[in-house]
Amino acid sequence: MIELEAVSKRYGDVVAVDALSLAVAEGELLALVGSSGCGKTTTLKMVNRLIEPSAGRIRIGGRDTRELAGPELRRRIGYCFQQVGLFPHLSVADNVGVTPQLLGWDAARVARRVDELLELVELPPARYRERAPAALSGGQQQRVGLARALAAGPEVLLMDEPFGAVDPLTRDRLQERFHAIRKRLGITTLFVTHDVAEALRLGDRIAVLDAGRLLQLGTPRELLRAPADATVARLMETPRRQSQQVEALLRADGA
Amino acid sequence: MTELWARFPEYLAAHLELSLGALVIAASAAVPLGVWITRRPRAAPALLALTGAVQTIPSLALLAFMVPALAALGALTSRAFGFELRAIGSGPALVALTLYGVLPILQNTVAGIQGVDPACCEAARGVGMTPRQQLWRVELPLALPVIVAGVRTAAVWVVGTATLSTPVGAPSLGNYIFSGLQTRNYASVTLGCVAAAGLALGLDQGIRGVERGVRRGRRGLGAGALLALVVAALAAAVVAGGLGAAPRVVSIGSKTFTEQYVLSELLAGWIQRGGGPPARPLQSLGSTVLFDALRAGDVDVYVDYTGTLWATVLGRSGPPPGRAAVLDDVRRTLAAEHGITVAAALGFENSYALAMRAARARELGVATFSALASRSPELEIGADYEFLARPEWRALVSAYGFAFRAARSMDPSLMYQAVAQGQVDVISAFSTDGRIAALGLTRLRDDRGVVPPYDAVVLVGSRLARERPDVVARLAKLEGRIDEATMQRMNRAVDEAGRSPAEVAREWLDAAQ
Repeated sequence: MIELEAVSKRYGDVVAVDALSLAVAEGELLALVGSSGCGKTTTLKMVNRLIEPSAGRIRIGGRDTRELAGPELRRRIGYCFQQVGLFPHLSVADNVGVTPQLLGWDAARVARRVDELLELVELPPARYRERAPAALSGGQQQRVGLARALAAGPEVLLMDEPFGAVDPLTRDRLQERFHAIRKRLGITTLFVTHDVAEALRLGDRIAVLDAGRLLQLGTPRELLRAPADATVARLMETPRRQSQQVEALLRADGA
Repeated sequence: MTELWARFPEYLAAHLELSLGALVIAASAAVPLGVWITRRPRAAPALLALTGAVQTIPSLALLAFMVPALAALGALTSRAFGFELRAIGSGPALVALTLYGVLPILQNTVAGIQGVDPACCEAARGVGMTPRQQLWRVELPLALPVIVAGVRTAAVWVVGTATLSTPVGAPSLGNYIFSGLQTRNYASVTLGCVAAAGLALGLDQGIRGVERGVRRGRRGLGAGALLALVVAALAAAVVAGGLGAAPRVVSIGSKTFTEQYVLSELLAGWIQRGGGPPARPLQSLGSTVLFDALRAGDVDVYVDYTGTLWATVLGRSGPPPGRAAVLDDVRRTLAAEHGITVAAALGFENSYALAMRAARARELGVATFSALASRSPELEIGADYEFLARPEWRALVSAYGFAFRAARSMDPSLMYQAVAQGQVDVISAFSTDGRIAALGLTRLRDDRGVVPPYDAVVLVGSRLARERPDVVARLAKLEGRIDEATMQRMNRAVDEAGRSPAEVAREWLDAAQ
C-alpha cells in the first residue's frame, strides 16, 4: 500500500506537483495518466525518493519513506523506466541480481533467484544468463529490466512508461505478459503512462493528473462513464476516437 | 659502439623508473581529482584550464624551473624538518613530468564519467546503490576505457618529455641525445631517440593489455600485462638503485659541450687512479643549474671558466684586469661567499670567440672585432642560447658598436653547421672548440681586450672539500697540466674523428701516468 498525503514538489516558483493525495491499495495497479509535464513522473520518483518532495508525506505499508536512507529505501522498491538502463558492462544475470547483491545475499541464493526471475519473464536462464545487454532486443531488455526490479522481492513496484519505446507488436506482447505476471505476484504497482489504452488495459484504477493536481481517480469504467470534467472526458475518449478512425477507414474501403 | 651500449641499461632503467613514477603519481592524483570535478561541475572549467596552462609551458623550461623551485622548497624543509630536498636529479624531473601527465588523465577521467549513459546512472540509483557504489560499480567501469586512453596518452608524453630531463641532472635516454648532438655522434642521438620511442610504444601497449584484460574479464591477459609492467618497474628500480647506492660517489658535473664531457671523464679517472673514491660523471647539465648544484652539494666537482664566473657569479663589469688578477678574484670570492674551492687552473683558456668561415673573413677583409663591427650591418650572427644574454656580449656591443642585421640564438651543434654552410656569417664560438678547425673556421681577434680571460678551473663543493681533502689535493695536481693545444686536440678527436669522450680522456690519463 502506497499513500501520498498532500505531497508537493516545487522548483523555485514552478509547482510541478501540488498537494497531491492518493493511495494505491494493496495488490492494486494504479495507472497515473495525463499529458506531458502534468507531474506524473515527478510523483512516481517522489515515492522512491529519486526526487525529494518539497512538502507532504509518503507512506509505504504504513511506514514513512523518510525513516530509511534513500538507497536503502530503493532496495525495497522495484523500479522500471522507459530507457531501462541495463548496465552494459555486466551480464544479464549480474544485472538482474544487482539489488540482492547490494542487500548482501550469498552468491548461491542470488543465482537461484536470478534463474527464477528469468523464467518468470520467459527468458530461459541457460540461454540468457551470460548474455551482454547489448545482445538483446528492445523487448528482451525491457523484460530483463522488469526481472531486475522484481529481484529482491520488493513491497511495491514503480513503473515509468516501461513500454513506451518499443514497437506496437512488442508492446502488446509485453503488456500481456506483464499483466499475467502481476496477477500472479499480486504486487502493489504505481504505473505512469500517457497511453490511455494502456492504462485502461492494465489499471485496476486510474488517476488523471493535470498541472500537478489530481483531476479524477476511479476505475476505468467510472472514468469512461462519468468523467469529472471536459479534460478527463477528452483524454478518456482518445482510444475510442482512434478505433473509430480505423473503423471509418475500413468502411470506406468496403463501400 | 660498445662504449655507447655500456650505459644503456642504466639510462633505460632510469628513464623507465622516472616515467613510470611520474605516470603512477599523475594517475593517482588525476583520477580522484577528475571524479571530484564531476561532482562539482562549477569547479571543472577552472581546474581544467589550470592544468591546461601547465601543458602550454615549454617542457624544457618547466623542467629547469623545478630546480630553483625545489631548492627553495628544500631550504624551507631543512629549516622546518631538518631534511633537504635534492634540487637536481630525478626530483625536479619527477615533479615536472608528473605535472605533464596530469592533464590527459584528468581530461579523460572527466570526459569518461560525464559520458556514462544517464539511464545507467538513474538505474544505479533506482536499484538502491549509494553514490559511492554507483561510482565504483557503474561509472568508473564504464569510464575505464576512456580513462585508460588518457593514461596511454600521458605515458607517451611523459616518456618523450623525460628525454629532456638530462639538463636538470636526471640521467635518461636523453643523455644519448644531448651528448650525441654536441659531439656530433649521430649513432648516439639515434640510439636515444629509437630507444625512447620503443619505450613509449612498449609502455602504451602494456597499459592497453592490462586494460583489455580487465575489461574483457580475461584475467590471464590482464594479469600477464600487469606482471610485465611490474617486473619492468622493479628491474628499473633495482638497476637504478644499485647504481645509485654506492657508498660515496664523487659526482662530476659537466655542461652540454664536448670539452666538458671529456673533462668530466678525465677528472673522474684522475680521482680514481689517484686512489680516491669512485667518481661518476653527471653529464649535460645546464650551465646555471650546474653552479647551483655545486653550491647545494648535489654535484661535487666540475670545470668552469674564470671569465664566466667573473661576469655572471661575481657580477663584475667594466674592462677586465689581467688573466692572473681575474683568476685571483674568482678564487677568493668563491671561497669567501660560496664555500667553493678552486682546486686547480688546468692551464688553458676557453674563451668566447667570434668565428667566421676563413674564406668569408678574407673576402670581407675582417680579422679583428673592430673590422667586424664596421661590416656588421650587412652580417648575421648566430649564437648559443646563453651568449646574447650574457654580460660579455653587452660589453662587446658597447665597446665595438656591433649592429648586426640579425642575431639568432640556436643550439651550439646547429650553430657550427649554420656558419659552415653560410646561413649565418659569424658565430659565437668557444676558442678550444674542435669544430673551429674541423669546419675551416677562423677566430677573430679581440683587438681592444674586452672579452675577459676564460681560464678553465676545477671547482670543488664545500662538502667534498670537508670530507675528502685528499681528493682536493689530488685535483690540485692538475694545475697547468692541460694546455690549449692539448684541449683542442682532444675536442677535435671527439668532434672530428667521432671518438668517445671517455676514450679520449683515458688516453690522456694513460699518457699522464
